[in-house]
Amino acid sequence: MALEEQLVVFQLAGETYGVNISSVHEIIRMQEITKVPRTPDFVEGVINLRGRIIPVIDLRKRFNLPLQEKTQSSRIIVIEMDSVTVGMIVDSVSEVIRLPLDQIEPAPPMVGGVDAAYLRGVGKREKGLIVLLDLNQVLKREEKAELKDSANQAMLQNEAETKKGEAPAQAAKASL
Amino acid sequence: MSEYTQVFLEEAEELLESLDQELVRLEQEKTNRALLNDIFRVAHTLKGSSASMGFDSIAELTHEMESLLDKIRQGNGEVTSELIDVLLQSLDALRSLVDEVAGRPAQPVEVKALVDRLQSFSASDHKKGVPSNSPGAHEQSIEDTSLTDSEQSVIRAAQEKGFYTYKITVRLDSGCQMKSVRAYLVFNRLEKMGEIIKAVPPVEDIEAEKFDRVFLFYLVTQADQREVEEALDTIAELESVWVEKVGADVKVRTGAAETEEALPHEYRFLQTVRVDVGRLDNLMNLVGELVIDRTRVEEIGSQVRVRLGNDPVVDALEEVSTHLGRLTGELQEEIMKARMLPIDQVFSRFPRMVRDLARRAQKEINFIIEGRETELDRSVIEEISDPLIHLLRNAVDHGIEDRQERIRLGKDPVGTIAVRAFHYENQIIITVEDDGQGMDPEVLRRRAVEKGLITEEQASRLNTAECLNLIFLPGFSTSKEVTDISGRGVGMDIVRDRVEKINGTVDISTKVGKGTKFTIRLPLTLAINRSLMVKHQGVIYAFPLVNVMETIRISPEEIKTVHGRQVILLRGSVLPLCNLNQIYGGHHLSTVFKTDKGEADSGLSVVVVGASDKRVGIVVDELLGEQEIVIKSLGDFLGRIPGIAGATILGNGSISLILDVRGFVEQAGLN
Repeated sequence: MALEEQLVVFQLAGETYGVNISSVHEIIRMQEITKVPRTPDFVEGVINLRGRIIPVIDLRKRFNLPLQEKTQSSRIIVIEMDSVTVGMIVDSVSEVIRLPLDQIEPAPPMVGGVDAAYLRGVGKREKGLIVLLDLNQVLKREEKAELKDSANQAMLQNEAETKKGEAPAQAAKASL
Repeated sequence: MSEYTQVFLEEAEELLESLDQELVRLEQEKTNRALLNDIFRVAHTLKGSSASMGFDSIAELTHEMESLLDKIRQGNGEVTSELIDVLLQSLDALRSLVDEVAGRPAQPVEVKALVDRLQSFSASDHKKGVPSNSPGAHEQSIEDTSLTDSEQSVIRAAQEKGFYTYKITVRLDSGCQMKSVRAYLVFNRLEKMGEIIKAVPPVEDIEAEKFDRVFLFYLVTQADQREVEEALDTIAELESVWVEKVGADVKVRTGAAETEEALPHEYRFLQTVRVDVGRLDNLMNLVGELVIDRTRVEEIGSQVRVRLGNDPVVDALEEVSTHLGRLTGELQEEIMKARMLPIDQVFSRFPRMVRDLARRAQKEINFIIEGRETELDRSVIEEISDPLIHLLRNAVDHGIEDRQERIRLGKDPVGTIAVRAFHYENQIIITVEDDGQGMDPEVLRRRAVEKGLITEEQASRLNTAECLNLIFLPGFSTSKEVTDISGRGVGMDIVRDRVEKINGTVDISTKVGKGTKFTIRLPLTLAINRSLMVKHQGVIYAFPLVNVMETIRISPEEIKTVHGRQVILLRGSVLPLCNLNQIYGGHHLSTVFKTDKGEADSGLSVVVVGASDKRVGIVVDELLGEQEIVIKSLGDFLGRIPGIAGATILGNGSISLILDVRGFVEQAGLN
């Protein structure tokens, strides 16, 4: 275990955040995002990343921060964790730094309007604080699909599974 | 698991599969001696291989089966349904035992009880059943292998009648396990072509694996040399096969040692390669990527033409891109074919199943299978088995009436159930049909209300087709009593879900008193499909063609309002309209229809889609035409979205959503 952590540092609504570089797949410029219906509102849509289809979330919406237009410096940080690949829209990406572990402290209940539930801690350095995100929490969604079989299967599931959960009467209504 | 066990398992599963089918056939053809012999041999082979591996329970059970079969073969017993029952039970037990060996979850097996049952069927003396050699074969000691006089005369007599005699020398692979099984396969194939008059070493020794890697048979047959060679062509693990013609005057002298050296002049290489399924899946994915890139290259080509005009470079690019298109198409087709399996993989299990179900329900059923050779993608094959089993169970249980009832109705006392598979355009169609009592839509309507699945008011609004589709509701069952076959109200909902999961559809047609027919339509492959591309409010969507009935143009005046819903009349039937905004949370239709009658061309494009029984017209801005698309998942993070089946990447790199038509129809709130 290294005594320091490498972080990708980015800006969001005037605050400086960091995520561990090991979960960062790549950082790309903004591109056309295709909207997808019936998704949580922080999901902007999907992008085509060299033939892969990747969902993109807007971190400002995720953290209920005030929205603003995307700019030239807006970036999508593509995160890869477990089997999930997700892009996060941030205001700008500034640098990659090494932060000694002893400079990391537990997070206060609220930083820059972001709930502590999403935070791993706060890193201190001369330039100021870096808020460390807990990506597991950030990328959590209420109804995250539990099915992780082959892509084929996953895409060909219709709402059968969801229907089974409902009372028969409701399901009946749905199909009449 | 050792290599030996692996080989044993593969062999055993194959043998059990054929045993299963042959036993069911034997019940139909009670006096078919050749079949009986076949079954006997299979049991015998299994006994040998399991004994040599030390799987005593399997050996014991197969030994008893073999003894019983042998008795019948000798004419000391008859083939009855009870006998087939007990043999099939033993077979199931063997399956469980094999599962156990393979480390799969297995039913516990009462070997002892079964052995007792088998013994009570056969007499008390258990002679070891050794398959009798074909007439004319003589016991030979290994040392003396030249043809005896009597054998010579057999060959001469055969020659005069225009038969050939071949000496077939087979050398097994050095890594060959289960030598006796391979040898048996060779023996079996040759037997089908003629008469084996001699084996070196003798058959008993070959069965007991008392040989190294080489054995030989003398075969009298009318087939020519090439046919004989081809017959053995598909048997695995043979290093070489050497067929030579033998004249009656030929003295053959081969000791075992010499046979070892009698190396064939040419080696035969196998014509098939086993490929891991995962590898095929990867290939398919790669081809999918290629298809996408090909469309992109085409697109870029046309953009380049716009910019550069008629430039030789542009011509060259177009030429390459066209060629690339053709190649990709062919590649895609080849890989699809490589993934295809005959549906017999699924069908072959049905005769046994239907037979058992019919016996348990005490009904007589004539079971017909057609189109066994129809090929479909293995991913589809895997998925389609369960739904078909459900449909067949229902046909036996609810469809076919019992004998007295059929006689009373003046029908043939024996019911008929037929499963058929065939290709139709770009689809596979599978039908399951019975000539039983059919379904009465009114009864279904009442049941659904009784069970509280729908309200009276909803029920009253259903048309006939919708009534029939009630059986797809979870918890719906019409059976008066719950049998262990069916009647718990699970099944049909699973059938529909499973079929639609693989982009298929299920339709019902039925006539009270005449029977019921289920028609399943399936795509050829899951990864790539043809879709109708449409544009709506600047976004491109793909409608899988399997769900598209037709496209029409209507004028706004045609739209009527019924029960507050906008509909049109299409050839006399009412077609509800909706539009794609409804998957985004249901804008009401009227808000998006331009009722601007000032435009001369104010026609609306409507795509008529069907999902199970429903037909819905979806109003779109523009139809873009058909296209092959590669289906991609939206990923785990978004999970499953009702109404969306996935996404695809278009030629210009942008993403288009693929509609899940049934999900959409249900989401669009068409109740």
